[in-house]
Amino acid sequence: MPNRPLQTTETGHPVSPLHDLPKGAHARIVSIDVQNAFGQRDEHVTQRLKELGFLPGATLKVIGFGLFGKDPIAVQINGTKFGLRRREAEKILTTPHKA
Amino acid sequence: MTSAHVTTPPLRFALVGNPNCGKTALFNRLTGSRAKVANYAGVTVEKRIGLLQQMDAPAELIDLPGTYSLYVASPDEQVARRVILGEMADEARPDVLVAVVDATNLKLGLRLVLELKVLGLPMILALNMADAAEHRGIRIQVDELSRRLGLPVVETVAVRKHGVNALQDAMRTIAKQALQRADTIPLPARGEDVEALYARIDDMLAGCVSAPANPPRWQEALDTLIMHPVWGLLVLLTTLFLMFQAVFAWASPLVDAIDTSVQWIGAQVGALLPTGILQDFLVNGLIAGTGSVLVFLPQIIILFAFILALEDSGYLPRAAFLLDRLMRGVGLSGRSFIPLLSSFACAVPGIMATRSIADPKERLITIMVAPLMTCSARLPVYALVIGAFIPHQTVWGVFNLQGITLFALYIAGIVSAALIAWVMRKQQHAADDFPLLLELPSYRWPNAYHFLLGLKERAWIFIRRVGTIILALSILLWFLATYPHAPLNATAPAIEYSFAGMLGKLMQPLFGPLGFSWQMCIALIPAMAAREVAVSALATVYAVGGGESALGASLAHAWGLPVALAYLAWFVYAPQCLSTIAVVRRETNSVNATIAFTGYLFLLAYLAACATRYLAGVWL
Ligand SMILES: Nc1nc2c(ncn2[C@@H]2O[C@H](COP(=O)(O)OP(=O)(O)O)[C@@H](O)[C@H]2O)c(=O)[nH]1
Repeated sequence: MPNRPLQTTETGHPVSPLHDLPKGAHARIVSIDVQNAFGQRDEHVTQRLKELGFLPGATLKVIGFGLFGKDPIAVQINGTKFGLRRREAEKILTTPHKA
Repeated sequence: MTSAHVTTPPLRFALVGNPNCGKTALFNRLTGSRAKVANYAGVTVEKRIGLLQQMDAPAELIDLPGTYSLYVASPDEQVARRVILGEMADEARPDVLVAVVDATNLKLGLRLVLELKVLGLPMILALNMADAAEHRGIRIQVDELSRRLGLPVVETVAVRKHGVNALQDAMRTIAKQALQRADTIPLPARGEDVEALYARIDDMLAGCVSAPANPPRWQEALDTLIMHPVWGLLVLLTTLFLMFQAVFAWASPLVDAIDTSVQWIGAQVGALLPTGILQDFLVNGLIAGTGSVLVFLPQIIILFAFILALEDSGYLPRAAFLLDRLMRGVGLSGRSFIPLLSSFACAVPGIMATRSIADPKERLITIMVAPLMTCSARLPVYALVIGAFIPHQTVWGVFNLQGITLFALYIAGIVSAALIAWVMRKQQHAADDFPLLLELPSYRWPNAYHFLLGLKERAWIFIRRVGTIILALSILLWFLATYPHAPLNATAPAIEYSFAGMLGKLMQPLFGPLGFSWQMCIALIPAMAAREVAVSALATVYAVGGGESALGASLAHAWGLPVALAYLAWFVYAPQCLSTIAVVRRETNSVNATIAFTGYLFLLAYLAACATRYLAGVWL
């Protein structure tokens, strides 16, 4: 994404939203961001993601995508696998993490 | 012993837990699998209730929809929450909760358990899939965990015969202390944020659970294959193709066998009895009606065999994941793909298959549009009319005009379904639009006991709940088409003198704008039993013998092309056959939804036929 300002964590690691990660990538969650597309329900979606274990600090792995493009995306977190649509995945900011 | 015992309602236990933790398997074990399956009042969410075995006093068990959380809830999860809190109309609050956790996925499950614990209801924790956990090298110190949680905790293996003995002991013990109350309980405010709750779970598990970090290798390998852009697609297409082929083609020898047997039985009974009302009723009403129920069974059983095996093995959620994008454009999700695909064979099993859609609104939309997929029963009607009116000619060098017409009819159904699904989705409040967060459970071998039970349950639901209505309606149709009898010196076909004939003639003015003759209207009535019957009904009213080509020739003589096309357009939407309406009534459990369903299809059929006739008249 050329136009996106390059974000980094405080310790200088690059940050990218979950949906930008390639298949097989390992990453650590930095934060769960606001997603305007959800409007007032955004807080709800954040809560649900957290309840399923998408908490800052948790590590995950991208295991695949749906048939048409990179949406939805399948990730493994805490040993459980979830399918997320792009809108949800956009909320999750990650930084690379060694497996 | 005293009469008081007789009057107290049974103690109510409820199974609560994440999706896929094995609640239904536990339910089957604990109740000896005699479940009553219905819908919760007012929603298309399945409710399963049964009597507990091995208890000292009568007690019932209710299997709640799988849920991750009491606070943030999708529509089906809200049903679980409302039942637990006693807010659901017609449902007494459960007296005891049996929380079920997948032992191979403890953290996620315990988060819900800690939320439930705050409610203060008597509760037992079942660590299910203890066999799978042990296999993976997960060690849980049950007594220590029980002490830390402050709850009775037992390990269970729902797929083994004696795998629930410890749970039954715990349930008997807790039943002695449980009180029956019919109150509601308020949902307590969230005590702590999710981070803190998970930190507490980590502390709790530290020192009493040891687990290897990663799931087994073969699970990973399988997912690499299934999620592969090329191989994964191949697996999916093969699966869908096999399933479609099975429902469409493999079922037909069985359907034919049922047809032949029913006819044979009818002939035997007919020969035994003297000609008359009784014979006619038994042979053409009762026996033929029973046959019209039974012919659906092969398709239903085959389709559910696939769905249950795919669901239990963990593939179905993945297929839904892969197909999600395709269905999302019209506001559905990957879950509705298989019911819709199956509806190309027959809408009845297709609509029953919507039971695997958790979201009640999505399920309702899928039910509403499923019959627009052109089912196999419409093919004979299409073939007859196309054969009679569309010239056998090649267009643009390669295409056959008859083939194109048939294709257009299929596409018309699919496009209409997409539009209607989209409109229905738009009607709903955006606030109800819940994000897709689909768990992709571990792969497992389907368990034969639960698989067969599931099949039996589906078959029974159909026979008992839907079959009785279909039988009654077929007998009614038989009556309409038979009475009153034609006078002795009748010249016209007998059906013209019957109620069905009168009704057809009565209906004709309504269908005038479509150009339908009264003969065409009469044929629509028996076609409600099954659409292919329209062909033989047309043969009867036009008094044509000698096969389809003869009938085609006389239709080509009697109808104009615009009217013939309008008849085809009518059958794309056609007020659905009575079996479909009966199954919609059962699956939605709502008279209003059934009326809306029948009404909107009638309206669409009418408008489509009218437009087709007019446009064809102008252009052709
Ligand atoms: N190995 C093993 N498999 C189980 C156990 N309990 C359930 N299963 C399987 O797990 C899958 C999901 O179970 P199900 O009862 O449908 O889960 P529900 O979604 O919670 O109702 C099915 O394939 C079951 O056969 C168990 O204790 N051990």
